[in-house]
Amino acid sequence: MADVKEKEMAVKTETRPAQEQKRQPVVMTPPVDIYETEEGILLLADMPGVPKENLDVHVDKNRLTIRGEIGDIIPKDITPLYVEFNGKAFERAFTLGPDVDVSKIEARMNAGVLNIFLPKSEEVKPRKIEVAVE
Amino acid sequence: MYRPWFSLSDPIWQNFDRLNREMEEIFNENYFATPGASGTRTPIPAVNIGETPDKVFIYVFAPGLDPKGIELTVEKNMLTISAGRDTSTDIGEDQKVKGYYRKERFSGKFRRVIALPDGLDTSQIEAKYSNGILSISIKKKEEEKTRKIEVAVS
Repeated sequence: MADVKEKEMAVKTETRPAQEQKRQPVVMTPPVDIYETEEGILLLADMPGVPKENLDVHVDKNRLTIRGEIGDIIPKDITPLYVEFNGKAFERAFTLGPDVDVSKIEARMNAGVLNIFLPKSEEVKPRKIEVAVE
Repeated sequence: MYRPWFSLSDPIWQNFDRLNREMEEIFNENYFATPGASGTRTPIPAVNIGETPDKVFIYVFAPGLDPKGIELTVEKNMLTISAGRDTSTDIGEDQKVKGYYRKERFSGKFRRVIALPDGLDTSQIEAKYSNGILSISIKKKEEEKTRKIEVAVS
């Protein structure tokens, strides 16, 4: 009898983790706005919970990758009651056009919004040519 | 002339098919869990709720807000959060916009009402906004707190 009981218990403990794993999205895709201005490309991404120091913006050839880990805000002894947002990090990659000056990219983080400015290289900027009148 | 009663290439059925796919997306389990994965479809910020032995914590994932514009009210056990943002203000005034490639971020106002669990002392609410998350903590009433009871040995 004792044997049977032990088996039942073993089965129960095995099924539990599988159920919890079902809610898996850990890396999320941040929504973005991308504008083209006269001076360059402006990219804005919503990454709530990501502090400045957890942010990684890098360019590899023509690929821009943004990644941010969500910081620790939750007390250690917390028990979840209701969960809609299940992410641990945000990540998204973009292909850059040839007219972006990669060496002059600027990034700022404010209230969970990443703001990246990618200036156009000097050659492609519209220029006004003064016509000298004699 | 023979014409099938309905065919899938008929525009009406194509629309139906699209509707079907959108419905599937909406009822997908991860719809709320991934704000932004489906672009503009999640204007309402996601909310997580948790508890510790003496407090209940509510986290609202709403980046880019002006903290002064966040309005929090409590009535009985209903907590209402209203706020908004205008994403066009993220563009610097010196920038001349020629057009856009993507516009997925929510712009506008939102309001969310959360039913609080019983046994909270709503006169003791703290709220702070940092890194785009609004964290609200509410103390539990004394009698609702988890207590340890010592077992006396006689």
